[in-house]
Amino acid sequence: MSEVRIGVYVCHCGKNIGGVINPAKVAEYASTLPNVVVARDYVYMCSSPGQSLIEEDIRKYNLNRVIVAACSPRMHEPTFQGVLKRAGLNPWLLQMVNIREHDTWVHEDTPDKAEEKAKELVAAAVARAAHLYEITTEKFPVIKSAVVIGGGIAGIRASLDLANAGIKVYLIEKKQSIGGKMAQLDKTFPTLDCSQCILTPLMVDVSRHPNIDIYAYSEVVDVSGSAGNFKVKVKLKPTYVDWSKCTGCGTCVEKCPGRAPREFDEGLGVRKAIYFEFAQAVPRRPVIDPKHCLWFTKGICRVCEKVCPVKAIDYGQEERYVELNVGAIIVAIGYELYDLSRLKEYGYGRFKNVISGLQLERLSSADGPTRGKIVRPSDGREPKTVGIVLCAGSRDEKHVRYCCRFGCAAAIKHIYYIKHAIPDAKVLVFYTDVRAFGKGYEEFYQKYRSEDNVFFIRGRPAEIFEDKDGSLIFDVYDSNTGQLINVKADLVVLEGAVVPPKDWEALRRVLKVSCDPGGFALELHPKLRPFETTSDGVFLAGAIQGPKDIPDTVAHAAAAAAAAIGFLAKGYVESVPYLAVVNDEVCSGCGLCVSVCPYDAITIEEREGRRVAKVNSIRCKGCGACAATCPSGAMQQNYFTDTQIISEVVSLAGGAK
Amino acid sequence: MSKFLLFLGCTIPTKQYAYEISVRSVLPRLGVELVEFPEAGCCGFPLKGLNKKAWIYMSARILSIASKKGLPILALCNGCDTSLRKIKDLLKHDEILREEIAKLLEDEGVKLNLNAGVYHTLEVLHDFIGVEKIKSQVRRPLNGIKIASYPGCHMLRPSDIPRPEDPVEPRKFDSVLRALGAEVGYYPDKGGCCGATILPYSAKHALLIVAAKLKTIKDYGFDGISTSCPYCMEMIDAKQDAARSEVGDESISIPAFYLTQLVGLAMGLSPKELGLNLNVSPIESILEKLGVSLYE
Amino acid sequence: MALEVKLLDSKILREVRELVRPHNPQYCYQCAKCTSACTATKVIPDYKPHLIVALTRLGLIKGLLDSGIIWACTECWKCSEYCPQDVAPVEVVIALKNLSVAMGYKPPEDLKMMAKNVVELGYISPPIEVLSKEFEMYSRSALSLPELVKPYIHEGTAKNLKKLLGGIYE
Repeated sequence: MSEVRIGVYVCHCGKNIGGVINPAKVAEYASTLPNVVVARDYVYMCSSPGQSLIEEDIRKYNLNRVIVAACSPRMHEPTFQGVLKRAGLNPWLLQMVNIREHDTWVHEDTPDKAEEKAKELVAAAVARAAHLYEITTEKFPVIKSAVVIGGGIAGIRASLDLANAGIKVYLIEKKQSIGGKMAQLDKTFPTLDCSQCILTPLMVDVSRHPNIDIYAYSEVVDVSGSAGNFKVKVKLKPTYVDWSKCTGCGTCVEKCPGRAPREFDEGLGVRKAIYFEFAQAVPRRPVIDPKHCLWFTKGICRVCEKVCPVKAIDYGQEERYVELNVGAIIVAIGYELYDLSRLKEYGYGRFKNVISGLQLERLSSADGPTRGKIVRPSDGREPKTVGIVLCAGSRDEKHVRYCCRFGCAAAIKHIYYIKHAIPDAKVLVFYTDVRAFGKGYEEFYQKYRSEDNVFFIRGRPAEIFEDKDGSLIFDVYDSNTGQLINVKADLVVLEGAVVPPKDWEALRRVLKVSCDPGGFALELHPKLRPFETTSDGVFLAGAIQGPKDIPDTVAHAAAAAAAAIGFLAKGYVESVPYLAVVNDEVCSGCGLCVSVCPYDAITIEEREGRRVAKVNSIRCKGCGACAATCPSGAMQQNYFTDTQIISEVVSLAGGAK
Repeated sequence: MSKFLLFLGCTIPTKQYAYEISVRSVLPRLGVELVEFPEAGCCGFPLKGLNKKAWIYMSARILSIASKKGLPILALCNGCDTSLRKIKDLLKHDEILREEIAKLLEDEGVKLNLNAGVYHTLEVLHDFIGVEKIKSQVRRPLNGIKIASYPGCHMLRPSDIPRPEDPVEPRKFDSVLRALGAEVGYYPDKGGCCGATILPYSAKHALLIVAAKLKTIKDYGFDGISTSCPYCMEMIDAKQDAARSEVGDESISIPAFYLTQLVGLAMGLSPKELGLNLNVSPIESILEKLGVSLYE
Repeated sequence: MALEVKLLDSKILREVRELVRPHNPQYCYQCAKCTSACTATKVIPDYKPHLIVALTRLGLIKGLLDSGIIWACTECWKCSEYCPQDVAPVEVVIALKNLSVAMGYKPPEDLKMMAKNVVELGYISPPIEVLSKEFEMYSRSALSLPELVKPYIHEGTAKNLKKLLGGIYE
């Protein structure tokens, strides 16, 4: 590459550029610059004839650098790089100059100055082009397997799709059974399917699939390695039962004298100290809760050990760790309900008969604390007047700013639960806006607002008080009729706000995933890439990316799986071209670069008695922080070397002409 | 912290004397030194409807004078306490307004300074003196007497600035009452309003508001009510008779006390030292239970 | 009779927004939680904080100011405490109260008296004698309370207050 031979191509971009400046003049100016062999202008450089123009010129004039002055490289850098490749040139000998977004689009009112600026920018690019060099990327093999974190409907769907595509899946679930929130629901809207009836077959499919290994009662504690080659460290929490011996017969649970509030029933029901999460659990294996087990707390009992036919009880079991080597990670850990006791004015947590929507699901469920009878927690009596409060904590600057998305549809479903169980009940739904956006939702809403003794009140209760008999009394203003209504309700259901799970904060740091203002996982692009993250190989499935109902969760999870399959199918990952490169001879091993690298891509090595920085080409994302920090200039960044940048700056400072 | 500027506001020094009397008797005995603050005047709270800046001006003035003296302010009235804290917060974030107010203050030779600490009677009793100390000073426990705490709107709200109490479930007030041996309990809308602010607009409706509160408290079996705001006391005590006639409900008859009066009673102080002869509501029943004569 | 659209105007809203900073009445989505909490509306049904915010947003406040209903607010601050959009209806009402006084509307007579007393005496009312249980009248000194120090209000401060409060207590 001794002689630098540059071709400059100035695009009109229709009227975007051509309507403000005269591209021909810019091209004419460019032809006077050093090393420029040919300079042309054309109306749409990215079009087929435009591209051919460049390709032919490369061959005809033996060009070894190409400058395209047009739109942003984010739009067409790959397009023009394609042209270079077809003409046999390394794609990184292309330099794009942005004279649209950076020039004509922002300087429309001063076209003369805009044209001057275009010339200066092109001149700077010409100066830089002389210092461009060929860049090749490295390919690394990926491991055709994936870890799915979270065993709710999102994790289940993603796992099945991955497994069906021939990819080995490790499904990590922190509870003792997969199923997630969907297992706790009675029915799903708007079809009113029995939730467990549609979920459990999928759970069984997961457990039977030869490509899926379930790690239940386990958590991801660390992730190292890089995209395509992750090392995921999983903690297997002690269950105190040897699950490989256990047959799930349930005798231990039957005989256990210990009691504790049942988490699966959102605190409403009671379970034993040794327990299955729910009857249809997958895996169907029990866990001992040391906080409520008589052996762990008082040193007595051990009945479960005595009655177990296969001697599976193991009080001394300790936590174990496994390291899984996988190519991709899908995060599917779902959501949690906002702590409703923080809505102090509603009395959740203080008044027994103020419950959450999820608690109502448990009351209504056949396997719930009341076997499906909807009753008041305070006295077990059937409620005759029920108030449902929408947006409890949602769309609220003091609590959770965003909409929970499925609260409205859930409330309509709850009308059905209550009226179906207690036909003469009066149901009051306190709403602000009803969001019935999904398929079949409007029909669902129409049906249940047409029921007898169902009243939609457009107003939000402010303070709820308790009456002497445990009923709730409060005023609410109905803005539809302009009336203040004094309500005495036997039961109040809060459709609460939705937040990311508590353990997400620690997990996302391990995965290097950012979060959005609500705390949910930050997607790569909210419209076009909602199931990918800025961390290659890490995908998002379900509500962890933002509140969703089941149809959207499943679609999202399938999309994440498809993206992961695509990522793994290639068989390799490529390093970024803008890699950081160390000049070994100059590097003193000071380690400043290591401290600023956000991807942990740099290590200091001992080499021939010297300390030298080493860049991991697959972890490096080309952010440039190390190159900017390096005090000696030993660390340079491909395509953004000091020489290249300075040559541009010098040209701009010297001015055109 | 045990030395405070005694900030009376304007209702207490001109009408609600019992609050001042009981505070002067009780707090020094519990180790609090009260320093006179005669130049304080009005905090401007009642005037905010006419002109917000006038309100800000008056509270900023009080804060500035107190800051110069280098002492924290003990506000007896809920409204004064809210005023001073709200203005501190408002001016902290508004430079232009700060300059305007500073200029106005120059006419009195006062330099704008918002540093003075602001505390309410309840805070001093509960957070600084502490319920343990109060309990230790009780000589005449209020056993068997059920008192409804009536903190008042402006002790609880707005809660985005520091308030003496939790906005929805006020606990400190009840803690102090319990330390005196009294029984406490729940009643709906403990944080409710007494209606005093709309006396100028419509006395009738203000009375309807307070009558509803008194009725609820009576319904929940309380023997008496206690408050620590002179506006609230005006409504539940002085205006109790008028409230009763306004709604025509004879059952609305219940003893009302300032919290400091109850603290003093429990400590064994005499009714004269607590201004109890100035209460309008039928407090005799409670005094009888304690074996205290109003005129001793 | 339908309302003509030319009557909708943001001018009053802008003035109110300036007075209620950093709250924003335009965030209100009319959930009516404020009116559900409101102390005043329970006895004065015509007083509705959410409606006052809605009317202010449209600039249709003439009726509100003419009726004087804005003075029915007890300033209990519940609306502001529970409002999910930080609108602080009470602040909007106080702003309207201020604007109405500046425009020449008359506030309640007793309130005017209180303002006059503060400017002239330094307190919202002069010190009075109170009736005790034994039907005696007591003044501060009779109760052994320290005398109030004169002048009750500094001259310069009184002058400034007079200016701020305008001519409302003529």
